[in-house]
Amino acid sequence: MSSATREVIICGGGGCVASGALDLVERFRTALAGANGSVRVRTAGCLGPCAQGPVLTIQPDGVFYEAVSGDDVDEIVREHLVEGRVVERLCRPSVTDGKPVPKLADLSFFRHQTKVVLRNCGRIDPVDINEYRATGGYDALESVLKSNSADEVIEMLRVSGLRGRGGAGFPTWKKWEFARDAEGKPKYVVCNADEGDPGAFMDRSILEGDPHGLIEGMAIAAYTIGATQGYIYVRAEYPLAVSRLTKAIDAARSAGILGVSMMGTGIAFNLGIRMGSGAFVCGEETALMASIEGRRGEPRPRPPFPVEKGLWQSPTLLNNVETYANIPAIMANGPEWFAAMGTAQSRGTKVFALAGAVKNSGLVEVPMGTPLGELIYDIGGGITGGKSFKAAQIGGPSGGCIPREHLSVPLDYESVTKLGAIMGSGGLIVMDDDTCMVDVARFFLEFVQEESCGKCVPCRVGTKRMLEILERICAGAGVEGDIETLETLGRQIKDTSLCGLGQSAPNPVLSTIRYFRHEYEAHIRERHCEAGVCPSLVRAPCQSACPAGVDVPGFVSLVGEERYAEALRLHRERNPFAAVCARVCFHTCEDKCRRASLDDSVAIRGIKRFMVDQEIVIQHPRVIENEDNERRRIAIIGGGPAGLSCGYFLARLGYRPVVFEAEQRPGGMLVQTIPAYRLPRETLAREIRMIEQLGVKINTNMALGRDFTLNDLRDQGYEAIFLAVGAPSGMTLSIEGEDAAGVVEANEFLREYNIRGSVPVGKKVVVVGGGNAAIDAARTALRLGAAEVTVVYRRSQEQMPAYAEEIAEALHEGVTLRCLTQPIEVIKGENAAVRALKCSEMALGDFDRSGRRRATEGGGQPFTIEADQVIVAIGQRLDVESVLGELEVELASNGFIKTDQLTGQTSQPWLFSGGDVASGPASVVGAIAAGERAAVGIDFMLTGEDHAFWRMENALDTDYDPDADPVPFPREPMPTVPVERRKWSFEEVELPWNESVALRQCKRCLRCDYGKTPVRKEILYAEAHH
Amino acid sequence: MSSETDVSTAATSAIQPPPIEQQEQIDAVIAAHRNESGALIPVLQEVQQLFGYLSQPVLYCIASRMGIPFSEVTGVVTFYSYFTTVPRGKHTVRVCLGTACYVRNGKQVLSDLKNELGIDVGDTTADQQFSLEVGRCYGACGLAPVVMVDDDVHQRVKPARLRELLAPYHKPTSEEDPDE
Repeated sequence: MSSATREVIICGGGGCVASGALDLVERFRTALAGANGSVRVRTAGCLGPCAQGPVLTIQPDGVFYEAVSGDDVDEIVREHLVEGRVVERLCRPSVTDGKPVPKLADLSFFRHQTKVVLRNCGRIDPVDINEYRATGGYDALESVLKSNSADEVIEMLRVSGLRGRGGAGFPTWKKWEFARDAEGKPKYVVCNADEGDPGAFMDRSILEGDPHGLIEGMAIAAYTIGATQGYIYVRAEYPLAVSRLTKAIDAARSAGILGVSMMGTGIAFNLGIRMGSGAFVCGEETALMASIEGRRGEPRPRPPFPVEKGLWQSPTLLNNVETYANIPAIMANGPEWFAAMGTAQSRGTKVFALAGAVKNSGLVEVPMGTPLGELIYDIGGGITGGKSFKAAQIGGPSGGCIPREHLSVPLDYESVTKLGAIMGSGGLIVMDDDTCMVDVARFFLEFVQEESCGKCVPCRVGTKRMLEILERICAGAGVEGDIETLETLGRQIKDTSLCGLGQSAPNPVLSTIRYFRHEYEAHIRERHCEAGVCPSLVRAPCQSACPAGVDVPGFVSLVGEERYAEALRLHRERNPFAAVCARVCFHTCEDKCRRASLDDSVAIRGIKRFMVDQEIVIQHPRVIENEDNERRRIAIIGGGPAGLSCGYFLARLGYRPVVFEAEQRPGGMLVQTIPAYRLPRETLAREIRMIEQLGVKINTNMALGRDFTLNDLRDQGYEAIFLAVGAPSGMTLSIEGEDAAGVVEANEFLREYNIRGSVPVGKKVVVVGGGNAAIDAARTALRLGAAEVTVVYRRSQEQMPAYAEEIAEALHEGVTLRCLTQPIEVIKGENAAVRALKCSEMALGDFDRSGRRRATEGGGQPFTIEADQVIVAIGQRLDVESVLGELEVELASNGFIKTDQLTGQTSQPWLFSGGDVASGPASVVGAIAAGERAAVGIDFMLTGEDHAFWRMENALDTDYDPDADPVPFPREPMPTVPVERRKWSFEEVELPWNESVALRQCKRCLRCDYGKTPVRKEILYAEAHH
Repeated sequence: MSSETDVSTAATSAIQPPPIEQQEQIDAVIAAHRNESGALIPVLQEVQQLFGYLSQPVLYCIASRMGIPFSEVTGVVTFYSYFTTVPRGKHTVRVCLGTACYVRNGKQVLSDLKNELGIDVGDTTADQQFSLEVGRCYGACGLAPVVMVDDDVHQRVKPARLRELLAPYHKPTSEEDPDE
């Protein structure tokens, strides 16, 4: 063991203590008992990365270990402390390459932080005053007491630009000046440590990690304003903070720092602790003072402000923990040093409690003005569980949500307020797609409603009314006008409440309405909760997540009982394309599967694949014959998934719709662009034949605009038309040389091969784009004999819109992926044919409106990739004129056709639309769902009634024991054809499971539907129709 | 004692004074805060620490000893959620419903705990073993969802594992003290 003294510093923050840090201290002390004191073991305050606790550092090596258990202690002692070898297993992996990063200073979590307030947290023993003094602690107090006047202190604060960290951001120097100038004795200094915002633990960590820093700040304040008594008001939920604070005050008193004569100057200052008693409103300053006085913590109107008439009617200076903790650093390092950090309006740093759906949750301190996205991704490491970022809730119940389009917002007082949130004390909760914003608003309202002290009517009654409306919306009983009422009430409560609690109480509701109005609307109109959270609206999260609303627990449990035909019929109640979706669906059901919180989601698509493979006789759904409907004429334009699904559901209501398909084979994208190795053609043909058997007539080689117009169909007596022509035109690169021979559009390329049976393929193929079409084109080119296939994409691989499984298979088959690569020129060779693609390297920059990091010029030298064919797959668009002709139809802002969410109706009452033509390029199952909605909408328009009998949920008669423990079987992958057999072959890549694998997988389902009463969803009312 | 009998009007005469040893403990707490302004809340906190809850006789005793109207004392006690006027179970199970825990499935944990214990929030099980409460953030957001059983923090609680979590607390007192 080296002779130099080393230290094992174990984080003693609340999070790590809860994870077993104190046990670690004992284990280390025991293990090092024979080390002659050359290694010191001690605790320190919160280091920040609470989620990976307990954490520790070994100094002076600067090595950081996380998630250390008692069993790791011997290894750390033997390997690191004796042999000098870092235990890499316990190091945090790098966010970029996953390699262990031993040094704390090199970790992304710490590298992007600037610690001013938390300067001592995690470094010194919080209750040891000597350690605090060794870092220069109380020097600032001493120097202020001995050589600065109160005026000078206030002037330093003015220059520093420090603003109140409790949330409102009032300039600290002004408050101090008011308090100093106020008439009356005695004066008080009070610290607000009643950190009541759920999701905030900044103050807790300072109180626990550096109590002397707070005491010093308060002592400087007392000297400046002339106060002799101070109080720290701490919430009772923080017993550790209270105990450390008590020890620190006692130590400061014994050292002559506090008491009758601060540091021998003859100036008296006593400090006491008052514990809260579980009333959130006591975080409001006038209520807090009432509580210290021993009364009910009810606020009173201001003015008079506490600086004039505060505790017992005396002038009182009230600041937040973080504000005081900044003071010694400003005095020690000078105000200019502090003012150099942050933005012009918001100087210095801010501590945030980063929590929620983020990988590295914990306590972080960054300069003011740091973009939100950097905080979440660079420090927080991004979103957990592969989900995507939805919103950040900032400022607690007084704050608001910031959605993904504002990830680039700088975190300073003004910018955050502009977006309808508030900086607040710094609680920052990250939310992913599993969070329902209406439910979040309801949660906060419930909180403030419970915590409202009841003194003023707007807050007491107003928040109650708002809560009732929100509860109704979440329960599926919302009505039109509810959103507007919430907005009106919210504004009134803000304007008329007595204190900050009421004035800010509507913020979470107003801000979620501002950014997520569509979610409120979906709850009210469609009785749909897209996040799968609201219990009354969600039978099972998988079913709720399925755009087509397929009864997932139903078919899964039926398959589990080997009732395959019943399972299929149940699936086809809501989605005719069971066999198609078993191959190509992007399975949002699995993303929402609750089993994932236990181990891994149920492999629903795999079960579906097994189910459809058992279909020997095609399973027809229930059809209601209707002679009146049979006579009505309905046209469907486009024989893709949306059009065929619309025809299917219309036929089940007794209609006999006619489909007009431009190509020679029906199926749309399913047959034209999705390759046969993903979707065998006979599988598709079989389900289309089933639809035809129900009475849907399909006319092929009939193209809108070429062979007929919408008005022609109207003239022929069609009463309703469903327009589902997709988005068939490809976008172009708009770069030099794009007209070279050998540059093709991906959909053209795929269509030509899939419909005509052959297509020219180069030897060196470059595909441009990151979507499914790009991957399909790349894998098709490889199968058709290309020697090298490279996919270039301008963003990063994680940002590729293509399904992850498809990308993985493509790489497996030998496709090269070059991300962060932007084509800038197609270089022509002989005969104006493609010779190479010139590209530039990109880098990820700030966050764009889609919440993804923008790809920006990387600054490197352009380079070329040799190619004799370039396939462009950068998106699809709609040529509106060729579709609509002279017909006037309203368009949405994205250039696609505007349709009613519920019915698919356009601005022309007889014209309905769905699928890519209405939504922009989307998923197969989304198109199927749109076809169903339009079928119901068309029926509703023609008859004035809603007959969609398949929307009634079914009670299941499958067995389930709710008390049994979940079965321990793992999620199973789908077997695949070996790679070497894929060249020159369009044989289906995915293989089915055998029966026992499938049945076991079914039993993994947790049956979230169990015990819920079946309801009928999405009822159309006469008024919903216009 | 005389001042206590003076204010014992008809309305409060039904209230029996607490046992003499409790009165002595209350007196000691009050004495420790004698020269403090606004001492009522610290006194109530410490007395609740001693007795587990604040019974009406105890409150009445505090009011008369401190010379504060009984109505004011009751007003303070009912205002703050920390104070309880009924006895609690042997173990207090607190489910955090702070924002971080809430968005990480805390609601599901609570509803499953209600089923598991067979009681609603604020209630105590018939065998006086568990009281169920809801908390608003224990500052352990990095470990969400959190359940506190007495002073133990249970982190990243999975609804399906609640029974295992409660098992160690289930030991009946008779097993611990077989002699009694």
